[in-house]
Amino acid sequence: MRLLLLILTSLTLGTADAREPDDPPPDARELVRKAMDHWRGVSSYSEMTMTIHRPGWERTMSMRSWSKGDDLTLVRVTEPRKDAGNGTLLDGDNMWTYSPRINRIVKIPSAMMAQSWMGSDFSNRDIAKSTDIIDEYDHQLTRREQHGDRVHYTISSIPHENAPVVWGEEVLIVRDDYVLMRHEFRDQDGEMVKVMKTLETDIMGGRPVAKIMRMSAVDTPEEWTELRVIAVDFDRDLPDRLFTLSNLRNPRQ
Amino acid sequence: MSISLRMAWRNLWRHRRRTWLTTSAMVFSNLLLIFLISLQFGSYDMMIDNTLQTFSGYIQLQRQGYNENPKLRDSIPGISALAEQLRERLPAARVAARASAFALASSEQRTLAVQVTGVQPGREAGVSTFPGLIKKGRFLQADTAPEIVLGSVLARNLKVGVGDEITLLGTGRDGSFAAGVVTAVGIFESGSGEIDRSMAEVPLAYFQQTFSMDDHGHAIVLSAPSLDQSQVLLPALREALASRQELVVLDWRALNPGLEQAIQADLSSAWFMYGVLVVLVAFSVLNTQLMSVLERTREFGMIMALGIKPRRLASLVMLETALMALLGFALGIALGWLVAAYFHVEGFSYPGMEELGARFNLPGEMYPSLTPVSLLLGPAVVFLFCLLAAVYPALRLFRLQPIEAMRAA
Repeated sequence: MRLLLLILTSLTLGTADAREPDDPPPDARELVRKAMDHWRGVSSYSEMTMTIHRPGWERTMSMRSWSKGDDLTLVRVTEPRKDAGNGTLLDGDNMWTYSPRINRIVKIPSAMMAQSWMGSDFSNRDIAKSTDIIDEYDHQLTRREQHGDRVHYTISSIPHENAPVVWGEEVLIVRDDYVLMRHEFRDQDGEMVKVMKTLETDIMGGRPVAKIMRMSAVDTPEEWTELRVIAVDFDRDLPDRLFTLSNLRNPRQ
Repeated sequence: MSISLRMAWRNLWRHRRRTWLTTSAMVFSNLLLIFLISLQFGSYDMMIDNTLQTFSGYIQLQRQGYNENPKLRDSIPGISALAEQLRERLPAARVAARASAFALASSEQRTLAVQVTGVQPGREAGVSTFPGLIKKGRFLQADTAPEIVLGSVLARNLKVGVGDEITLLGTGRDGSFAAGVVTAVGIFESGSGEIDRSMAEVPLAYFQQTFSMDDHGHAIVLSAPSLDQSQVLLPALREALASRQELVVLDWRALNPGLEQAIQADLSSAWFMYGVLVVLVAFSVLNTQLMSVLERTREFGMIMALGIKPRRLASLVMLETALMALLGFALGIALGWLVAAYFHVEGFSYPGMEELGARFNLPGEMYPSLTPVSLLLGPAVVFLFCLLAAVYPALRLFRLQPIEAMRAA
């Protein structure tokens, strides 16, 4: 659910915690937690497009996504026509995918979590792992930068010895209104493997939101996947039955 | 016949038995070398043939870069038509088109990643042994049928049998969702764990439809009855494709880089063994010639007293050795050729080999390769080393003092 988390962390209340530049530097773990807390326990509905770019071709999909609480997420593709109806359901670390063409639900095995999600530069793990980063990592504030009237905090997060994660380090840049501006994934040697950048922020649904985000591997900068949030709505009353396998197969919403 | 030559020849037969014994050591080692080397080359040919015939074929036609980094999009348009065209131009070759992608295969109980290959059901048997390796069920038949054949280990891991359904999920060539439900119609067992664990084949037309490939494919596989015959196809193939710059012709080395390495590793360990054999024979020649020089000390002393130069005597000894080595060389090659030729025609096999071959759809016999290299290489080296071995006894003659030599016992 990291992808959704990334989107949703950005969908935070801009008014709630606007910091003065002179405030003492915040605690790194608090900063990450705050960023997460803003979407925790909150349900959301969003519409977005995902563009997969490769040298020589490009493809854009539209999708809708619903989330509730920490664990439940449903993503459904609406366009292009050929792919409409394909969906992904997440419940914690469990992941299912549904394809209307074969009318089957397939559970994605844990061995496949490193594979690409819908052919994009996001892996299944990127999509599925949720708030692990808060508790499985040690966080350290390494930098504080002034960008206009905003402050950007750089946080280095290193996983605990036994944490079930693939990265050696993750570096997050969080704006003082808790919009995630940049997320680097580094290997055990500290080499950056892939990076997600927020290219544009906006106020949507009454909150500051990372509107356009782009993920690409460091080795292949000409290949990237861009997510663009079209519309978002918070605190909808979403019923639990939305996040069931039967609803994944037969959408009622 | 010069006097030296006549003397050398006569000297050789002064000790008839000894000469024959030494010669027979050479003949034996030559025979052994010819047999082993030709069998070894023959087994490499077989190894190459078997490996290539299993799946990769002798030659493949791919889009540039696909072999190093296979991507679904690096495909060849109109692949079936191109394959048909090549079939007409190269009547000696067996030609089949393929396409390939990774997909999630899931049964009722399990989901695994597999490499799915789309093949032409009617043509695949010409370039791959898989159709003959079906242990349960049958091979693919119809071009568009939603059917799949898969490796035995894969089938076991997925817990499917013949008749069960498998769901395939992947990404199409245009980036769309690729999904299909196929029925397992056959299970093959190649004997290679790697292949049996990860490979599955569906009909090409069905593959193209499922993975949004239109008429594209990834490889045209060419095969011939043997490696040599496949090499003959290369120039004609390159010529036929001269206008298609985006395509590359890959030979077996490019398709199976590990195979050549395995052969080279095996060769270097064999060279060591052959070296030991040759050195042993050389020592036996050294022993014989040293003995024959030492026992003639008095005789040589007398001849030298008569005014013959040591150089002349040394060349006499060398000539004796050369004659003996030549005899061993000729007899060795004659016998070695006979043995190798017999097995070249009849085939060589050891107990159990036939059963082993039958299980993996391979021939049960090895055929030694009869080439000038495999016949002459061993004996030539033995010949050379025998001459080298005679150098030491011959050099001793230069230190010979006529008076002392004549007094020697």
